[in-house]
Amino acid sequence: MPGAIAFQFPDLFFGGLWVTIQISALGLAGALVIGTAVALLRISPAAPLRWLGAAYVEFFRNTPLVVQLFFLFLGLPLVGLRFSSDTFESIFRAAATGMALYHGAYVAEVVRGGLLGVDKGQIEAARSLGLSYAQMLRYVQLPQTFRAVVPPVGNIAIALVKNTSLASTIGVTELLFGAEIVESRTFRAEESFATATLLYLLLTIPLGLAVNYLERRLLVAR
Amino acid sequence: MRGITRTVGVALAIVFAAACGGASTPAASQPAASAKASAPKFELSTYQYAIQTKGKLRIGSQEDNPPFSVKNPATGKWEGFDADFGRELAKAIFGTQDDIDKFIEWVPVVSATRIPSLTDNKADVIIKTFTITEERKTQIDFSDVYFVTGQRILVKKSNDTIKEAADLGAKTVCAQRGSTSEQNITKANPAAKVLLLDSYPACLLALQQGQADAVSTDETILFGLVKVDPNTKIVGKPFSDEPYGIGVKKNQNGDRQGFVPFVNTWLAGMIQDGTWGKLYEKHITPVSGDKKTSPKG
Repeated sequence: MPGAIAFQFPDLFFGGLWVTIQISALGLAGALVIGTAVALLRISPAAPLRWLGAAYVEFFRNTPLVVQLFFLFLGLPLVGLRFSSDTFESIFRAAATGMALYHGAYVAEVVRGGLLGVDKGQIEAARSLGLSYAQMLRYVQLPQTFRAVVPPVGNIAIALVKNTSLASTIGVTELLFGAEIVESRTFRAEESFATATLLYLLLTIPLGLAVNYLERRLLVAR
Repeated sequence: MRGITRTVGVALAIVFAAACGGASTPAASQPAASAKASAPKFELSTYQYAIQTKGKLRIGSQEDNPPFSVKNPATGKWEGFDADFGRELAKAIFGTQDDIDKFIEWVPVVSATRIPSLTDNKADVIIKTFTITEERKTQIDFSDVYFVTGQRILVKKSNDTIKEAADLGAKTVCAQRGSTSEQNITKANPAAKVLLLDSYPACLLALQQGQADAVSTDETILFGLVKVDPNTKIVGKPFSDEPYGIGVKKNQNGDRQGFVPFVNTWLAGMIQDGTWGKLYEKHITPVSGDKKTSPKG
């Protein structure tokens, strides 16, 4: 029965699951912050800021996540930067940072779409009422945007959870890596990977439900 | 691109040959018959006969495992001890050919995919620094030992603190995941912290960038790494025995009939006629400095 093997190697499966949850949570939080900031850059009235935002999105969206992870892990030390003097702390932080940077580019595009979706008349009305640009963003444009982007950001969050498996390439013992180690020790490939699949579903399905719930809640509030 | 052109080329050649065969004249079919005559004769029930009829030996090896197997990025040709060893095996099945690579399908594997590629029938043999272990023998069959080495430690030349496996406590040691090296490190020093990456070149990079204090695996693989980066050195006594074998799928319902004995007979011949020693001199001597005529030394 798939799943039983998880209890024979709890460190690797549940320990791996916990690492996956941590990287996902940190990565998602980072991606939301970065994505919002970059989206604001992209609609900013100042042209250089718009270029900066566009450059960010195009760079991180158009290069493979694995390459970015390797760069964060082995490329940064070349220029004298490292996340931590401890290698295992370092690869964990590199993985979380990589998730945030990469998915931040996708979140930025979604949030930008949301910002542009707010009726121009509202923005003009807010400004003519004497609200500063920042106040207009804070009280008019951003709240409506966040409400509108819940479903697409939910998609990105689910993709992010699955993409954390790529952290295994830089040696992070997350869920998939745990399953691979069990497989190489026991040769029970089907069980190992079926169990990993179940555990991923255990994360992604509730996440999807949570997104749906949030979407309905916000709909009522509107 | 090169691969595609080549595949298309081979496909065209086959179509062309088939077309010629269809409109066969006795003269045209003559060379084909003589080419077949140079190939050894096998019993019909054996797997080596099945490979011979199929016309391709599928060899699983790794693309970046110097000095045993490297796929040359410039030419696309496989090089190294394991690669040439595979070619010799192909010759034993298809006879002496102008270009033995035409009879070989190279299947790229990494440590962790060696056994699955046999059990899923993706490769006929795995020739890839494949250590024979009791655990692995429950899954697949091995030939006799064709190479013996031991696990040692690679550190930066400037490192004076790591001299033996005993010094690895609380140090970060890089190894390839899914390999015996990984387990040997933990056995030799349970306090060592093992960083697992996909290949030894990646481990070397981690060592160079200070993300790993040491790399540990079979001495012969470390020789290859020292060659790449002369700022590294190999330290300590070997702390494991690594006998390499050629991996073959287990014979089930006669689907690998007589194959392992065939490989073993061929292997003994290779050692006896000096081919083994020549391959050692060609690929291993440049990095190890010693000479051997058989796996035992």
